[in-house]
Amino acid sequence: MMASTEEEKTGLQEEAITINGSPMAVRKMQTFEHIGSLAAVAQSYGPRSVKSRILKSIYIVLIKAKINVLLPFGPLAVILHYLTGKHGWVFFFSLIGITPMAERLGYATEQLACYTGSTVGGLLNATFGNATEMIISIYALKNGMIRVVQQSLLGSILSNMLLVLGCAFFAGGLTHPHKDQDFNKASAVVNSGLLLMAVMGLLFPAVLHFTHSEVHYGKSEVTLSRFSSCVMLLAYASYLFFQLKSHRSLYNPIDSEVDGEQDAKEDNEEEEEPEITQWEAIVWLAVLTIWISILSGYLVDAIQGASESVNMPIAFISVILLPIVGNAAEHASAIMFAMKDKLDITLGVAIGSSTQISMFVIPFCVVIGWMMGKQMDLNFQLFETATLFITVLVVAFMLQEGTANYFKGLMLILCYLIVAASFFVHVDPTSDDN
Amino acid sequence: MANSGIELETNGGSKHWDSDSQPNASIPISTVALPPASNFHRAFQKIAHSVKIVIFTAKINVLLPFGPASIILHYLTNHHGVVFLCSLLGIIPLAERLGYATEQMAAYTGPTVGGLLNATFGNATEMIIAIYALKNGMIRVVQQSLLGSILSNMLLVLGCSFFAGGIVHYDKKEQIFNKGTAVVNSGLLLMAVMGLSFPAVLHFTHSEVRYGKSEVALSRFSSCIMLVAYGSYLFFQLSGRESSQYSRIDSQEGSDSDIQRQSQSQNSAEPEDEEEEPEIGLWESVAWLALLTLWVSILSEYLVNAIQGASESFKLPVAFISVILLPIVGNAAEHASAVMFAMKDKLDITLGVAIGSSTQISMFVIPFCVVVGWMMKKNMDLNFQLFETATLFITILVVAFMVQDGTANYLKGLMLVLCYLIVAASFFVHVDPSSSDD
Repeated sequence: MMASTEEEKTGLQEEAITINGSPMAVRKMQTFEHIGSLAAVAQSYGPRSVKSRILKSIYIVLIKAKINVLLPFGPLAVILHYLTGKHGWVFFFSLIGITPMAERLGYATEQLACYTGSTVGGLLNATFGNATEMIISIYALKNGMIRVVQQSLLGSILSNMLLVLGCAFFAGGLTHPHKDQDFNKASAVVNSGLLLMAVMGLLFPAVLHFTHSEVHYGKSEVTLSRFSSCVMLLAYASYLFFQLKSHRSLYNPIDSEVDGEQDAKEDNEEEEEPEITQWEAIVWLAVLTIWISILSGYLVDAIQGASESVNMPIAFISVILLPIVGNAAEHASAIMFAMKDKLDITLGVAIGSSTQISMFVIPFCVVIGWMMGKQMDLNFQLFETATLFITVLVVAFMLQEGTANYFKGLMLILCYLIVAASFFVHVDPTSDDN
Repeated sequence: MANSGIELETNGGSKHWDSDSQPNASIPISTVALPPASNFHRAFQKIAHSVKIVIFTAKINVLLPFGPASIILHYLTNHHGVVFLCSLLGIIPLAERLGYATEQMAAYTGPTVGGLLNATFGNATEMIIAIYALKNGMIRVVQQSLLGSILSNMLLVLGCSFFAGGIVHYDKKEQIFNKGTAVVNSGLLLMAVMGLSFPAVLHFTHSEVRYGKSEVALSRFSSCIMLVAYGSYLFFQLSGRESSQYSRIDSQEGSDSDIQRQSQSQNSAEPEDEEEEPEIGLWESVAWLALLTLWVSILSEYLVNAIQGASESFKLPVAFISVILLPIVGNAAEHASAVMFAMKDKLDITLGVAIGSSTQISMFVIPFCVVVGWMMKKNMDLNFQLFETATLFITILVVAFMVQDGTANYLKGLMLVLCYLIVAASFFVHVDPSSSDD
């Protein structure tokens, strides 16, 4: 018992010395823990090691990643909210403050996924992958800002399909200049076909409204939207089942040594030992979610004021700026994988995220709105609906041949710029939201 | 004298330059010492020879007299309809010769600059007509003629080629082309058209911030972006990629530079000229290029001025004239060469011409016209009206799907041609929902 305690202390000290991460030290400690005797386990919950574990955990999660330099903006935003009335600053600071937390949330999710195996891991990724967008949307719903919800979710899909994919192709193409990069055509086609069907399912209330052909004006779309959402959630459940259980082989990338993760954001994590323990991961998941919720509250409250003080249409803020926050982490990882020539993972991230938003987050928000008594529906307004449909169609078509180069990436990015510019000069035909 | 001895041997006299002799086979002029007095004479001979090759050997030039005829008619009569038709017929051979001069010049400059030349001058006629129409403030005519050019390329040119090729190669049941290139090119075209559509969609959902001004601002921004995209498109294609997508199935087309030039020059009408010696000198082609551009400009002015009058005298909507008749002029040469290559079973070149020309119009000519309009202080924008935008998008989507499987037969061609007839008929009974163009 004494020996094990000493070894553990030594392990901790070793870890403390080589704090800038020879993973070997961490692994040693982990291995020790996992192999360890009951005594070792009992010891690990002793008072002294709890504090050092908490500190170590905080270090790994909060300090080691470079993106966390943005963390102070979060509390700053809260302070500014109470000190000044400058909504513009509050908005931007909370925007910048949420970004690292969203990224850490993704990190904690993957760490947890290491422990739970690929099935539950896939589910976790699927749920928490878009947690930030969901949280922001639910806050906006509570405030009755239905148009903001619709536009931010739509903007998230557009950003995934055009900006993330475009940057990834562009970066990958520049890193591999003289050949085209290949990806698994079949899964890209299947995924984009699914996305197209999901978007089609979402469009019908809007089409109904704009052909002025509904039975009860104003009520029919909401009813239809709620029904469609329930159907879409059913579809999403079967999509998960399909991906994780029955047709897993479809989702294996070309690079066959990387197995398993379907919604894999950072497959490489699978090959490494997890860096924090399972319970730590759960705790961090909870803590980060709470922090994001708090900041989202301030973010959403500041949207209206920011729009007025910075002179930007709310549509632009919702469609372009808000999704940047939710997608920042996926964006970075997609680009990284493209540069490592693992385009399948990039496509999985981009298209998978879009599919999840259209098949899960949007219907989920409609259902939540239903429960809250808000009139959230799928009537996205004609301009956004047309934009979404055209974008998904064009990108789906473009992915069909299974190759990528920097020029395609550049075209996608330029299209995104044009879409962003359109939203800059866009207002809703009737009054503003709610 | 030694000189006359040589000349006697080859030509029977320096004064009678044998017009049937190949320029290559003759003694280079510099090695023949001439008395100074005949320098001028020799220059005249050269010019006459050049004129003969450029103007008299091509059969299409029988239409050339219509050009001057239209100018004469413009000043003699007030009959706008006839002036319009004559200038239309007169520009056609000039456009074709312009393409010829461009290829001749490209033969000298190598594949890179040659590709650039083809890219720029390939749609020179449409650009010139569009700029004249812009100067006259006929913005709808510009929009509709450029849109009609894309429609004509995708439906009529492609349809006629597939049909002709299918009939000629009836025994083979189907012709094959390089699927990859076709898909990449049509994907690009789809993206370009998507980029062009947003101002129209914005306008028609009545959701712009400042009515009337926002679309123009957005159009100008989009046009600058599209021009950047076009620049990178050219850079991308001309930078000599090894990727197999940009090579041809038909590998008998000789040299590397040939294949490269084919993959660059979407409007290349006769790449086989690469295999032959160029027929006129470098400076001659430059001179002809300038001269033909000048003639096309002059005739275009009369053409554009006569549109309104022709519309009234023939009882045709201006939309029909802009969308259907004007593009025939600009596309006549490409049309002929595309059909010819389809009959020779070289469908890759046909597709390159058709889709490439459409891509160039959507990525270069249209944004360029918006920018030119910006400089001229005209309110040219990308707001193509709902009917035209929908037609364009549907057409490109359908054709993009149709070329995906990499085969062609006469039925596909027939369907495309019939679709074009339907589109033409729609424009025959189409007026703008508001007032017609100014």
